[in-house]
Amino acid sequence: MMDFDISPITNSWQFLARALGVTILLSVSSILLGLVIGLAVGAARTYGGRVVDSALGLYVDSMRAIPVLAVLVWVYFAFPLLIGHSLNALLAGILGLGLHLGAYVSEVIRAGLGSVRPGQMRAALALGMSPWQAIREIILPQAVIRMLPAFGSLFVIAIKDSAIASVIAVPELLRQSQIVAGQTFRPIEIYTAAMLVYFLLCYPVARGVDAIYRRLAPLGAS
Amino acid sequence: MTLDWSVVWDYRWQFLQGAAMTVTLTVLTMLLAIPGGLLLAFMRMSPYRLISMPATAIVEFFRATPLILQIYWTFYVLPVALDIRMSAFTTALVGLTLNISSFNSETFRAGIQSIRKGQWNAAYALGMTKSQVARKIILPQATMRVLPALASTWVSLFKDTSLVSVIAVADLSYVSLQIRAQTYRILEVLTAMAGLYWLMGYPQAKLVDWIYRRFKVHE
Repeated sequence: MMDFDISPITNSWQFLARALGVTILLSVSSILLGLVIGLAVGAARTYGGRVVDSALGLYVDSMRAIPVLAVLVWVYFAFPLLIGHSLNALLAGILGLGLHLGAYVSEVIRAGLGSVRPGQMRAALALGMSPWQAIREIILPQAVIRMLPAFGSLFVIAIKDSAIASVIAVPELLRQSQIVAGQTFRPIEIYTAAMLVYFLLCYPVARGVDAIYRRLAPLGAS
Repeated sequence: MTLDWSVVWDYRWQFLQGAAMTVTLTVLTMLLAIPGGLLLAFMRMSPYRLISMPATAIVEFFRATPLILQIYWTFYVLPVALDIRMSAFTTALVGLTLNISSFNSETFRAGIQSIRKGQWNAAYALGMTKSQVARKIILPQATMRVLPALASTWVSLFKDTSLVSVIAVADLSYVSLQIRAQTYRILEVLTAMAGLYWLMGYPQAKLVDWIYRRFKVHE
């Protein structure tokens, strides 16, 4: 059967800790990029009229149809040929993951904005607020709370998807684990440890967002 | 930069074979992961902790770790731990099925628990047994409610099959990356790969939207 030897992990813990740092950096950056894209696309589709809605709908549905892996390899290998300029792997990873995540974020934003009754917008406009003021001060604060559970699952997905960036050699946790596993011939220990680390990263995020939502849920009711 | 799209046509059969493998993996995984998900869901709802605890652990673990790592893990660890030999295809199928079963189980659990308690009580009052109630009253209604979520999972699964390329299963992404390496027509081949995924995935995404509208629950 198996004999479990954790020395490959303890011997290269600094190497793996740095890789964990890259995983966190990659996840957080792609979440931020995804939020910016998602907010812009979601708001534009909700308030921007039919033409804008269908044009951006094509982007959203395309991202829902194409695997993250395909987006990542395209951004890293093919896109630089188009612009004639090579792309750093980490940057390509953030771009690809953020572009993919943004489509999903935009759907959450759109559902959240749409869940606030139209009467509230009309009431705000009747009080003399500008449309942007009404969105910012009346609609968004309620919508954001209702979006929290969905954001929670998207954040977990973002952390998990960051591991796919190993395919384009971003030095994140999975990629560096592969390197250690290859050098030490100890894939079982390394991959099991990596699995535990990802679990410890994802599970608290999922539970944490749930807990925050339970406390804030009444504020989102209308 | 000169583009030479003829490479896509020259390798059309390889691309199509890869696409066929992607579809095969999607269909087979879902066929296995529906009973798998039901089993995990019923285990998790069991009043006996000895049954519910392992199911909870499996579901939470597979939902909170990256699928790509699960595939590596299935590839390296499972054969040693269980002392069996598996082909790359079987490994991919096992990894995908474990993952999707976990997601399905949560879908089924939510669907079953969304049926009001009163329906169980009413059926019991009519003299039905527990399995009769589950089969004839609860499951038919729950099926309609889980359909949208199942459809979403189907599309994610279709996309996620691309990850089996890391253990050299000849799906669309693996084949495309091979053709890219052979021909060096990187932009053309990778664009064709994304385009093929788009052609297959876009109608599915649209179908999911339709299912959501069609099966929306009105309480």
